[in-house]
Amino acid sequence: MPVCNFFLQGRCRYGEKCWNEHPRGGNRGGGGGGGGGYNNYSNRSSGQQQPRSGGFGNRVWVNPSQQKGNYIQPSSFSSHGSDDWGHGGGGGGGGGGRRENVKSSDFSFSSQNRFSALNTPSTFDRGGRGGGGGGRAAGGTVGDEDDDKKLEVIQMDMDVWEKSGQWGFSCYYSFQTLVSGFTDLSPEELRLEYYSTRASGDLQGYMNAINQLLSQWKTRIQELKIMNPATRAALLAELNGAAPQGSSGGFGSTTATGFGASISSFGSKGFGAPAPAQASGFSFSASNSGFGSAATQSSSTGFGNILAAPTQPPSGFSAASSSAPSASSFSFASSTTDKSAPASGFGSASGFSFSSTAGSGFGVGAPATTGSSGPFGQTSGGFGAAAAQPTSGTGSAEGTSDSLFSPESKLTEEELSQFKAKKFTLGQIPLKPPPSNLLVV
Amino acid sequence: MSLFGTSSGFGTGGTGVFGSTTTDSHNPMKDVEVTSPPDDSISCLAFSPPTMPGNFLIGGSWANDVRCWEVQDNGQTVPKAQQMHTGPVLDACWSDDGSKVFTASCDKTAKMWDLNSNQAIQIAQHDGPIKAIHWIKAPNYSCIMTGSWDKTLKFWDTRSPNPMMSLQMPERCYCADVVYPMAVVATAERGLIVYQLENQPSEFRRIDSPLKHQHRCVAIFKDKQNKPTGFALGSIEGRVAIHYINPPNPAKDNFTFKCHRSNGTNTTTPQDIYAVNAIAFHPVHGTLATVGSDGRFSFWDKDARTKLKTSEQLDQPITACCFNQNGNIFAYASSYDWSKVCDNKSLQLLGQYSC
Repeated sequence: MPVCNFFLQGRCRYGEKCWNEHPRGGNRGGGGGGGGGYNNYSNRSSGQQQPRSGGFGNRVWVNPSQQKGNYIQPSSFSSHGSDDWGHGGGGGGGGGGRRENVKSSDFSFSSQNRFSALNTPSTFDRGGRGGGGGGRAAGGTVGDEDDDKKLEVIQMDMDVWEKSGQWGFSCYYSFQTLVSGFTDLSPEELRLEYYSTRASGDLQGYMNAINQLLSQWKTRIQELKIMNPATRAALLAELNGAAPQGSSGGFGSTTATGFGASISSFGSKGFGAPAPAQASGFSFSASNSGFGSAATQSSSTGFGNILAAPTQPPSGFSAASSSAPSASSFSFASSTTDKSAPASGFGSASGFSFSSTAGSGFGVGAPATTGSSGPFGQTSGGFGAAAAQPTSGTGSAEGTSDSLFSPESKLTEEELSQFKAKKFTLGQIPLKPPPSNLLVV
Repeated sequence: MSLFGTSSGFGTGGTGVFGSTTTDSHNPMKDVEVTSPPDDSISCLAFSPPTMPGNFLIGGSWANDVRCWEVQDNGQTVPKAQQMHTGPVLDACWSDDGSKVFTASCDKTAKMWDLNSNQAIQIAQHDGPIKAIHWIKAPNYSCIMTGSWDKTLKFWDTRSPNPMMSLQMPERCYCADVVYPMAVVATAERGLIVYQLENQPSEFRRIDSPLKHQHRCVAIFKDKQNKPTGFALGSIEGRVAIHYINPPNPAKDNFTFKCHRSNGTNTTTPQDIYAVNAIAFHPVHGTLATVGSDGRFSFWDKDARTKLKTSEQLDQPITACCFNQNGNIFAYASSYDWSKVCDNKSLQLLGQYSC
């Protein structure tokens, strides 16, 4: 039977009733095949939507004029010249593996060889990318183009964000990761901070802090817009789920920049497993070292993971141990188990209690060790009121070991029992890291 | 504050308050202004529940007070009472019988205000400012739920100084809403958690937020059988996401829409993007109202996915809104929401301002 050209193009009106041959597997992407006849006209066209969501667009899948004696025509959008692989392999990037199931025996090349052509970068068509996110087809070479698109999207987003007068102190999420270098601060928190400093009379400190935050935000946006190779590499690492290496992200300097306000409203407290020395917090107090997140080690990527998969090793946090009881701060040190799922620790002091008692700020990245459980890179917003002597620098009270494991004394009964049980019960998963002695390998 | 009275429904242009000859940006909609408004920005508004006759409106403000007005049928407002906190009031709610008002403040406490006796007592304590407070009325218990910047969600029986339950959240609570048996809390860093409240409150699901930026406000909506079925989530990026908890087809049923942006469809000049400060659902029609930093409010139909109406622009951002119990009255508050801090010029003005 002759092969139905319309079927190959995905638009055969007769469907099953067609007198010509419809090679199976040849054209799934072209849209469901309809049920038969005219009745399913609309059906088919709606069926076409789905497979085409991968950015397929309206391209004709196969070019009937290029009959080579086999049924897989070189796809019209394929960018390669001489390659025989015409099965729209590039389109597979968008739509998933379906199209790779070439089953018809009429093909000229063996199925083992099917993907050999994919090894060359030229095989991949750029148009199939479409849907962003991760349509990874067979080859690793897909990655580059995907990433390019992602970066473009991020750049555009940054552009819009900057020009639109939107609130700048917000986290930014793209492609399943929270991009590091952005802090999340609500207007109410800043406003409360203002009211408290106003009461104490030192507005200049507040202004300076806000300006500092603003300039950091702007720097980070510029970085992401301009996308120099270093930023790009760091960003791609984040997007792809790895712990970002100490990048230039966001908050830049690790040197102390004190803010000079007498009230230590935004206390800072570094924390984090390794190399505490570099963590510097963000604080208003004169004595404290100021802002800076040293490296963006596993950043908030982990946070996204935490949210999405609570069964992962919970990011532990222990309320800043060194702070006074009313402290609202919080450090989120957690152990990164492995690269693929960095539960990032990052500290953030919650709330803003500005009374001059207690408090502890929040820390920002202790960088240093690559790929380790280094926490985060972003100063997540939230500042606890630091006391007059904010715990500067890193995890002072919490040594290296504390951030990875919590001593049993710090865990409540339920948490202990959860750790001792074979499996976590959903809804009662402890948020602190387990005590090291309970770890059984 | 202004009240916007309609006889029925929305989008019908019923009251015709449009089209005034003088452009008054303070009250361009020519709505009724509440007498004796608070002295500082209004953070929250709430109308009394149906169990009480008449309409009473409470509003909390950054002047540390919460005020109560009676709204009469002709739209006139009569100030009734006021209570103070030691810090700005961030949220307020009514008990289900309308006799008590619960207020949450930056002074880390929440108070219960008995309107009959005009006494207020403290019922909750947190380690950080309390951002959200709601009354929960379940068949087997009733309590107050408070969400705070200290990353905890606590449930209080008003008679006891210790919380009945304390749940840990991944980040600071930014907004919450309760419609029994569902509660939704949106936190910093795009956290979004749904709790189920039957028997006792427990975490039901953590949802990957449909929005890319900071969460600002959330409101639960109900289905035709009056059961909570999803929520609307607003962010600082002029976008609202409608999210169903168990939709038959998540990809199609959940969606986001842009709102509170300038420039409409003109894509050549960059849009100004404003935060969505509050969302409220009409109790009868199920349409939603959003208010934003741009000083406008809009009504939307989420089922038809259309915009019903946008107001004129007020001179200040709109910070809070709510419908009364039968949907006849829509109240919105016009006051500064601190959104200009990100703008350098305004920041300098702030520095010169001294109190």
